[in-house]
Amino acid sequence: MILTKVAFRYRRRDRSVIREIDAQLSPGDVVELSGVNGAGKSTLLRLLAGLLRPTSGTITGRPAIVGLAPDRFPAEQPFTVAAYLDHLARVCGGRWRPWAERLNMEHLLGVRLPELSKGSAHKVGLAQALMADPGLLLLDEPFAGLDTGTRGELPPIVAELSARGTIVVVSDHQGGLRDLPSLRHWTLTNGRLTETGDAAEAGEVAVEVIVPVGEVGGFLERVRAEGYQARLMSTEESR
Amino acid sequence: MIALAVFRVAAYVRSHRVYQALLGILAALAILYAARAPAGKEADVLAGSAALIVPFLAWAARSLLDTEPDRQREMSAVLVGGRGRELAAGLLAALTACVAFAGLALLWGVLLGMSAAPDGPVLAAGVALHGLSTLTGLTLGALTSRALLPSPAVSIMALVAGFLAMLIISVSPLYWLTVPITAWMSAANAGQLVARLPELGAVSLVWIAIGLTCYAWLRRTRP
Repeated sequence: MILTKVAFRYRRRDRSVIREIDAQLSPGDVVELSGVNGAGKSTLLRLLAGLLRPTSGTITGRPAIVGLAPDRFPAEQPFTVAAYLDHLARVCGGRWRPWAERLNMEHLLGVRLPELSKGSAHKVGLAQALMADPGLLLLDEPFAGLDTGTRGELPPIVAELSARGTIVVVSDHQGGLRDLPSLRHWTLTNGRLTETGDAAEAGEVAVEVIVPVGEVGGFLERVRAEGYQARLMSTEESR
Repeated sequence: MIALAVFRVAAYVRSHRVYQALLGILAALAILYAARAPAGKEADVLAGSAALIVPFLAWAARSLLDTEPDRQREMSAVLVGGRGRELAAGLLAALTACVAFAGLALLWGVLLGMSAAPDGPVLAAGVALHGLSTLTGLTLGALTSRALLPSPAVSIMALVAGFLAMLIISVSPLYWLTVPITAWMSAANAGQLVARLPELGAVSLVWIAIGLTCYAWLRRTRP
């Protein structure tokens, strides 16, 4: 799957949320996507899923079957968990019962979706994303609200899928997959994507500092004098 | 796609939203058919019924499309294999609801609204008009659904205004500038429904096609 100069903005006069991203994903890749709130992580996931079309650039080679687990599962629906998953299994031709077992949600199957706790609803979102055996799995904050047992189960699931050739992209603030050996790290800053090696190995992160215009020169000099890389962002970058 | 349409119809029924449009249509039909129409007025009855149910069908279509949370609509699009299939499944589900309601109105009119049974051509014209009103309601409902108009207040005003615009414009000589709902009734009243149906049907279908094309076009950037 190849992203070439991908940019996106929601409306013509809006600033770009995603800017000129070039990236390549191979079967089995597991990517941890990080960035501050509003950096564009969810937008990038929706672009990868094919829900949004890039304003410019292209995304090619997307696997035929995609699974998407949102950060907030839409629980306001008039179904029990089992009825909901049955319907979606018929939509995609998948099997959800094995995943229900692995995600410790068998006791929830007769519960109506609006009555689920946040963590339980999140499990339903994960089960529907996993059921079709996707070639591309997109998980938005998958560890949020999960109980300890299920949090521990998720990394092995991701590792198994990766071993079967599934591309997994995970937006995660909690570092829940940090123990996976082949994890790639993507960081979104102001819509721009940078890929680092293992963050612990690299030992470097990008920070954004807002400085009054009149103090920019002195600030950059001081920071550079202390041995840090520093540059002035363009107006377009900083918007 | 069929399975997704079934999922959406099931959600529409299980959420009890189905009763909003159903009760509205039942009330309107009860008033319309409070007394059986005299013999010879069968075309008027069928044309009036087809025109009367358009806003209720639009309401039903809008309500069905809005039953699914926005986030679920995205998940459904991913599961079914693309936004185009999700869009088609939504329209198919809404069409199913509209067909059921229009069929109810047609049956009520034929069985309980007339003193004499309509002859074959008039009955066929009545069925065709109810088909057109089904598609008109589907289109108006889709164009005012939450995916395009997120504000419920704006959405319901747009639906009512759209229907009123159709009524007013189709009274004028420029009736071909919209789905000519009033012209359906005028033609029936003048005893020309069967003769003018091809023309009125063609105009209606063109506007329905334009409306559905606009819906699909606007949904490209509104998943």
